[in-house]
Amino acid sequence: MMDESISNVLFDSVKDILVEGEFKGSIITKCLDPEDSIIFSDNMLISNTEGIIIKDGLKVGYNLDNNKKKAFSIKQDFQWEDFRTIVEYCIRIPDEIMQTYSEGQFSDAFPFTLNLLHTAGLYLNDFKYGVNHLDFFTGEILKNPVTLILHGILIADRVVIKEDGDPVFYDCLIVGRDEHEILKVGYEPITNVEDVLLKYIIILGTEELKL
Amino acid sequence: MLLYENKKAKLLNILKFGINPFKKFVSTGEIKEDLEFTSSRNELVNTLSETIKTNNNFILPIIGGVGTGKTHLYWILRSGLYRHNTVYISLETGSKRCFYNMYSNYIETLELEPLRNTINHLCNEWGALERKYGFFHVVNIDKVRNNALHKLSRHFKDNEQVALRDVINGITTHQLDPYKRVDAERWLLGELMDVREIARLNLQNDLRKNKNAYVMLKLLIENARKGTVIFIDDFEKLIAMLKPPEDEEEEKIFDPSWLYGSESSPDHVEARKVLKKIMKLLSIKGMKVVITLKSMDALEEIKNIIRDIDENFVQSFLDPLFLLKLSEDDILEFYIKNMEHFLTSINLYDFYDEIPEKYFPLNEIVLKRIYKNTDGNPREIIKMLIKIFNDIIFSEEELENVLFKYERSL
Repeated sequence: MMDESISNVLFDSVKDILVEGEFKGSIITKCLDPEDSIIFSDNMLISNTEGIIIKDGLKVGYNLDNNKKKAFSIKQDFQWEDFRTIVEYCIRIPDEIMQTYSEGQFSDAFPFTLNLLHTAGLYLNDFKYGVNHLDFFTGEILKNPVTLILHGILIADRVVIKEDGDPVFYDCLIVGRDEHEILKVGYEPITNVEDVLLKYIIILGTEELKL
Repeated sequence: MLLYENKKAKLLNILKFGINPFKKFVSTGEIKEDLEFTSSRNELVNTLSETIKTNNNFILPIIGGVGTGKTHLYWILRSGLYRHNTVYISLETGSKRCFYNMYSNYIETLELEPLRNTINHLCNEWGALERKYGFFHVVNIDKVRNNALHKLSRHFKDNEQVALRDVINGITTHQLDPYKRVDAERWLLGELMDVREIARLNLQNDLRKNKNAYVMLKLLIENARKGTVIFIDDFEKLIAMLKPPEDEEEEKIFDPSWLYGSESSPDHVEARKVLKKIMKLLSIKGMKVVITLKSMDALEEIKNIIRDIDENFVQSFLDPLFLLKLSEDDILEFYIKNMEHFLTSINLYDFYDEIPEKYFPLNEIVLKRIYKNTDGNPREIIKMLIKIFNDIIFSEEELENVLFKYERSL
């Protein structure tokens, strides 16, 4: 169920799209840093002179710490004047898709969903520093997974690890590029992803999401 | 292929098992009526439906004598008004714990899934869907409760604030606390709960408390997707309750005048309370009330009592609609509709297409005689039909002789 419209793309370094202005809503920023980080925010200012400004964003990714890759999520303000070398794209999720996503979260109660207190890495597809805790969580329901796939980002309300080790995501927002490299946004109630396609899965901790 | 005589014999044989096509001559609010009204009443139903669709906060009186189909009208409205929840209230059973009874009947009509949708919608309005960083829904139940209280408290009186807190806690617990959801749902459905269960939900009372039931009703009715019609049957029961007891000479161990004074009685006090509650119910936004009465005199009497309480409230009354007796053609139509319904239930769908007699096992003369004898009163007509069919079923005589008897005797 991918959205054909590109009007929600605020900045795309590949297609050279830049929409100047101040934006509110649900905005995803994909960075070009070595950490493959993603920034979630409800605001963004884009201008050719000031660059990109985000207030109170949440940056998520893996960084190298003591020769180990560790998942992190950090809340901070961002400002990049020379953003074209730092940001791959910024996209705002349409309100109607966010509405469906929000309703999916309430469609049923899952009292046995695991909420992690602190952000942790569930999976990292890396030859040298790989992380794989999928077996440990087989059959469990984990809340707030953030996933980077080969050509996109998947944010879901919850993830269940199947017996064969592949994750199944429920109530998913998907951002990705099609065969023409055009950015698209979609919603899927259930998404199966094979682990070979995954770059990483990070489970956000509730401490970082406290209001 | 069966000859038509055999079809008739087959029907008579089925009847002889003791199955009477006419059974029920009193309609109730509990047992669904499948039969439609006769076509002469379509105009009344259309007017009534149109009035309900285009007006809000009114009392619409329906006047009709005993057995004219006032309660049956409830089932006609309930099946015809798709965009309304039509709730039946009987003052026979509903005068005690008035709002709790209304709430129970409302929930029974609304059903569980629409109830869940409505309270989900309410919770969302109170900020339950707030998203951190634009994406992540984090439940902050206290913040949602405070939002709700801030939004709603000005719409309720000071003495209803405790009930409002209970209702907000009940709804938010149901939606945002999965561990207590089952108990909260029992509370929302109006189940009786003990003190320990109520305390576990952080509530003061269950919905037996009239104020809680009223606040719940107000919130649900004002936020439901469908409109609400409260159908109060036999409204003149209030008049009977307000009148002093007839046998004043009777010796009593407890004289109520010690408590209520010589002018009043427990029933009198209760009737006025019920009336005030119905008047309060009408203050709910979008509320529509239909009442049934036996005569215009009763309506005037009710209006006079209401004038004593609140002069302006009488303006909420719309012009009454009248449920008239059936016409001669109506009885024929009613008989055919009822028989077709019965024949369908015994798998004889095309019975009347295959036999020449239109009204078998009766005939037009008997039906017209019934009409004359009952003066077109539907209940009396059904009673008479039950009697004739019982004769057909249990009598040893031939059908022709039974019919001949009624052609002459009625």
